[in-house]
Amino acid sequence: MLSARARNSCSLLITCVLLSPQAHAQYEVETPQSVWLRALLDVRVVGGGPAPSWTDHGPGKMRYGGSNSPEGFERTTRVALSQAALQLGAALPWDMRAQVQMNIEPDVADGYHPWLVEAILRREWGNAESGWGAQAGLANVPFSLEHSGPAWTPEYTISASALNSWLWEDISLAGMEGEWWHTTTSGIRLGALLGAGYGGDQIGRLLALRGWALGDVIGGANGDLATPTGRTDIFVEHDERPALYSWLSLADESETAALKLGLFDNLGNQDHPGVWHTHFDTVALVLHLPARIDVLAQYLDGVARVHTPPNDSSLSAYYVLVSHHFRGQRVSLRYDSFRVHDLDGGPSSTNEHGHAVTGAYLVQIGLRCQVALEYIRMNSHRDVTGSLNPTPDGWQMSVRFRY
Amino acid sequence: MDTRRWRQSIIVSTYLATLTPAPGNAAAVSGSVTGSDGKVIADAVVFVQAPGSLQGRTKSTQVVDQIHKTFVPGLLPIVVGTAVRFPNHDQIHHHVYSFSPAKTFELPLYKGEVAPEVFFDKVGVVKIACNIHDWMSGIILVLPTSHFSVTDAQGRFVLENLSAGEYTIVAWHELSKLKPEATAQSVRVDRDMTEVTFSLPLGPARPRPAMHGVRGEP
Repeated sequence: MLSARARNSCSLLITCVLLSPQAHAQYEVETPQSVWLRALLDVRVVGGGPAPSWTDHGPGKMRYGGSNSPEGFERTTRVALSQAALQLGAALPWDMRAQVQMNIEPDVADGYHPWLVEAILRREWGNAESGWGAQAGLANVPFSLEHSGPAWTPEYTISASALNSWLWEDISLAGMEGEWWHTTTSGIRLGALLGAGYGGDQIGRLLALRGWALGDVIGGANGDLATPTGRTDIFVEHDERPALYSWLSLADESETAALKLGLFDNLGNQDHPGVWHTHFDTVALVLHLPARIDVLAQYLDGVARVHTPPNDSSLSAYYVLVSHHFRGQRVSLRYDSFRVHDLDGGPSSTNEHGHAVTGAYLVQIGLRCQVALEYIRMNSHRDVTGSLNPTPDGWQMSVRFRY
Repeated sequence: MDTRRWRQSIIVSTYLATLTPAPGNAAAVSGSVTGSDGKVIADAVVFVQAPGSLQGRTKSTQVVDQIHKTFVPGLLPIVVGTAVRFPNHDQIHHHVYSFSPAKTFELPLYKGEVAPEVFFDKVGVVKIACNIHDWMSGIILVLPTSHFSVTDAQGRFVLENLSAGEYTIVAWHELSKLKPEATAQSVRVDRDMTEVTFSLPLGPARPRPAMHGVRGEP
């Protein structure tokens, strides 16, 4: 009979023999990278027109329109690189997080210039139930319910609503914000975010000059956007007054229903040439219903004023989106309505109104790929373009790769 | 029986004697896991390395939920051959995946209870993550034995329902600098509770900071 010591030694020896080098590695955990890189590439086949898109200084109200030939406007179908996004993230000391995003949107930027979309430092305290966060850097306002996909792309359709398209085209602020969230003992989730940022002195100018549009353009601080007669910078600061914004939310514990209220005022000082004073409010409702149905509804109302030349306008838009999802597939239907009302009868009227219906089907293929189809039917009128209905419809097929 | 075969039988019998617990009443091993600095370590997994046994715990389907952009539980030890469900009780979509050699899988964008089960048929660490929310991370530790225990907040564990006999017990932690076999302790289990202490040097934790506020809603 072997002694207990011998048996122990033998047992340990057998354990070591049984554990092959492969087995040794079995229990190792990959070390998480403290710096990470992600990318998104969106290639599309698009059909639109006959009017050229606003991105080509045309009257078209979708991102892709027709072409301008000697015979007039023509419908066009083409392949386009819609977006190449690069996201860099880092876990920093003191539980801080850094995020930077650069986008290339050749048709919007009129070239392959990368735009700086986001550059933030963020720190949170607490947990999902209750806590608060602080953030500094360059970011958009967090009012869009639709831009919740990878690299801030719309999640439910290819093109966001007119309301949220504008928010992501025209607003890019450098500043700070603080956020608080809390779940009460009765199961009510409350949230409040307050922010201040520079760079919003020309917010609203795009709507006055161009009007509303439907698309998925992601504006950047160093970018500019096409207008009928030229281009307008996104990030402009002349009066050294920060824009102020807040985002308040109320939801049940499981966030089946949520009500959100956003307030924005750029506090523009119109004593400075070229500074616009734009303020708006937005209210939003989110419902996650049984049968995997999501409902989003959002309304925005505001005013954009400028002294020189006078071009004051009131702005309003709303949409209702219903979406059904099942195992990586999503079908969405959205109704959009938008209006700009000229307040001062200036030299060029900003009056416009319109509505659109968007249908989209999206399917996720594995971890890396998403294919989406979208059709938009639109009816709009803008005083400066007369009775022309610039973009009756358009379709897109998008293939997104994400790494 | 010739001499050679007789010797081989003796050797095999000796091995089996070390591998097979002697019959007897169910007993238990308890103890604690501490770090090199003496501080207690929670969420360490202590398990029987030898002899391997699949008895003592049924292989019922386990669950890793997703609540508030967090895997719950963040660490799930299971015996090899167990299926795991991944329901998503957030109102946003998650896309759960793993590239670990022990199990590569992905569950496309979903929410609710509809995600299919994943069957874990290979021993090892399976690190799970969400393709949308980069800070979401969890571990499924697939073990060759049903005799395992996770240390509580005080670093304590109990391995129950062991038959009396000799066991090799090891400890594992996500941040441990030691491989489990380097922590092996040979333990004789009898009717009394046997006490075992493990000391694990841990490396630094480097989780990606979570985003619970509205900026983390995508």
